[in-house]
Amino acid sequence: MFNHSAFRSILAAGVVAIASSGAIAALDTKVGIVPGGPHPYFSAWGPSGKDASRDFKLGAADYKVPAKWELGEQNLLLESMVSQGYNAFIIFPGDSVGSVSTVADLVGHGAQVIAAGGCFKDPSKALFCLGTDTGNSAYLGTKELLKVMKGSKRILHLTGFMVDPNTQLRIDGVRKAAQEGGGTVVQVIADIDAPEAAAEKIGAFMAARAGEIDGIIATAWVPAVQAANSLRKLGDKRIRMVAIDHDEVVIKAIKDGFVDGTMLQNPYGQAYVGAYALDRLRHGCTVKADAPWKSNALTARFIDSGTAYVDAAKAGNFVGAMQEITKGLLNSFEATYLNCKK
Amino acid sequence: MASFFLSNEFGLIVGICIFIAIFSWVDANFWSPFNLFVISRSAGVYALIGLSMMAVIATGGLSLAIGAIGVCAAMAFGWAIESAGLHWSASLAVALAVALALGYVNGWLVVRTGIHSFVITLATMSVFFGGMLFLSQGQSFRALPAEITEFGRLKVFSISALFLTAVAVALLLAAFYRFAALGREMLAAGACPEAAELSGVHSGRMFILCHVLSAGLAGIAALLVTARFGAAIPSMAGQLGQDWLMPGFLAPVLGGTLLSGGRVSVPGTVLGAILVTILANGLLRMSIGEFWVQAILGCLLLAAVLGDVMRKRYLAASGRA
Repeated sequence: MFNHSAFRSILAAGVVAIASSGAIAALDTKVGIVPGGPHPYFSAWGPSGKDASRDFKLGAADYKVPAKWELGEQNLLLESMVSQGYNAFIIFPGDSVGSVSTVADLVGHGAQVIAAGGCFKDPSKALFCLGTDTGNSAYLGTKELLKVMKGSKRILHLTGFMVDPNTQLRIDGVRKAAQEGGGTVVQVIADIDAPEAAAEKIGAFMAARAGEIDGIIATAWVPAVQAANSLRKLGDKRIRMVAIDHDEVVIKAIKDGFVDGTMLQNPYGQAYVGAYALDRLRHGCTVKADAPWKSNALTARFIDSGTAYVDAAKAGNFVGAMQEITKGLLNSFEATYLNCKK
Repeated sequence: MASFFLSNEFGLIVGICIFIAIFSWVDANFWSPFNLFVISRSAGVYALIGLSMMAVIATGGLSLAIGAIGVCAAMAFGWAIESAGLHWSASLAVALAVALALGYVNGWLVVRTGIHSFVITLATMSVFFGGMLFLSQGQSFRALPAEITEFGRLKVFSISALFLTAVAVALLLAAFYRFAALGREMLAAGACPEAAELSGVHSGRMFILCHVLSAGLAGIAALLVTARFGAAIPSMAGQLGQDWLMPGFLAPVLGGTLLSGGRVSVPGTVLGAILVTILANGLLRMSIGEFWVQAILGCLLLAAVLGDVMRKRYLAASGRA
């Protein structure tokens, strides 16, 4: 059974050697790590912040979760944190546009801000966005799905909230891959990244229309878990599926053959490397204008925090895959994205 | 004078002073200009949301659709500026017209069907919000004139212009309920529609106007939020506009507005909004878990509702109801 704390320990051990070599005294850096609301995807941000605080000797790197997915809640939390002395922020935007003015407030008070997991819409005062290239991840995941589908390729796409800036990018990525691979997206079910909504809508679809699809691509955490459970309950291995993230239900379903694979994201690395970068930026480094930035629909300063496809052969050691992603990102981060005085 | 010391308003003033004293003692930065600005900014918006709900509670009903109406007004404002190319002042009129029209729909449906406003506004909340999403395709309007965003950041001695706007609206509203015949007729219809009818007041029309007034206030609240964000965004009041419900109920109920209708307290609602904002801000600054803040606000609402029940019993027992 997958254990989050064990996962954290292993991952942290893997990157600590690199981190310690570059650590500088930075106790004045207080990093606030704030998601848009409660969600299992962000569960790695808390331990990641603690590890970053220890490894980079930060004053703090605290994970604070707004009580609800409300833009107003997140704003209140961020505003209270800046007046408590937090001077660096890693934020998943409550709204890609609506949060921009809050970032301006934070920066106006001397804080450094980066986006993680999802991006602010340009122009904003955020230094960059560190996240999964969600559109590409969805595209690659769909390609993997198409590879294992035989005959007709009718796909059901399960995804997250439409207010999440990533959701439209995922929908576009899946559509593009399906078109290129001769598949058809039969239906997109969105706004189901919550247990009740996912159970209801996926259950209803599978009960009524399971025969109309040959594959499922899930691009949000909760729908991936729910769909994996549905396929297990149905005992249906005709319908192929590629999931997202590393929930234990998904990993077990891959091992048992109900799910073909999953697209890993790297939330741990986002907060860990993000805290490192913010500290460096607070101590004289600047963001390189000519870094190899990627761009997406929201920003032209995007850094891919990494993604990897894990199938049954790799499911036993998926932590290793994430470890490699984080190591690689941290190793090259300063040289690639920052100008630092030697 | 004695009645003032027994009033909700006095209780709220005492509560605000106590919380300010506690939070100032715990955290020296509580009085920092930035914190005063963010508190006043939030309190201004919450006060208007509370006044919007209060205007419908005056009928003995409620409106779950104030958030959805607010978002529709804000999006209409953004559309009028960005897509229709109107000046921002004309766009304000368009936004308020949209809000008032949606309020009229709510009121008309409540009066014509006789169905409780809870059910009607539960339905229209989804209809209005869904229609807005369909028309806007979920896209934000952010190319707003500099005047709008500057207003959102404007402060007078660290007090946000949004709060000062809310106070100005509240003063006008208080005067309306106290001195205007229409305002008094609204309250009379809310207290006892049958008696109001016998006095020549058309209760149905008053109920519709209460919903229209509520929607107008929701529209103003949404425009302030738009100025605060510098953009009109579909998610400004959360999914279906539901984020406005808690502050919408908390402020008027804490302020002493009777849930059964017929009595409102404009200053109480504003003070209720200030209390809630200070409480949430202070608890967050004390690093009390974010989830506990919600629980405490929920308890506060429950206590206020129970207080409302006790007040009604007291009024009934003393023959004043």
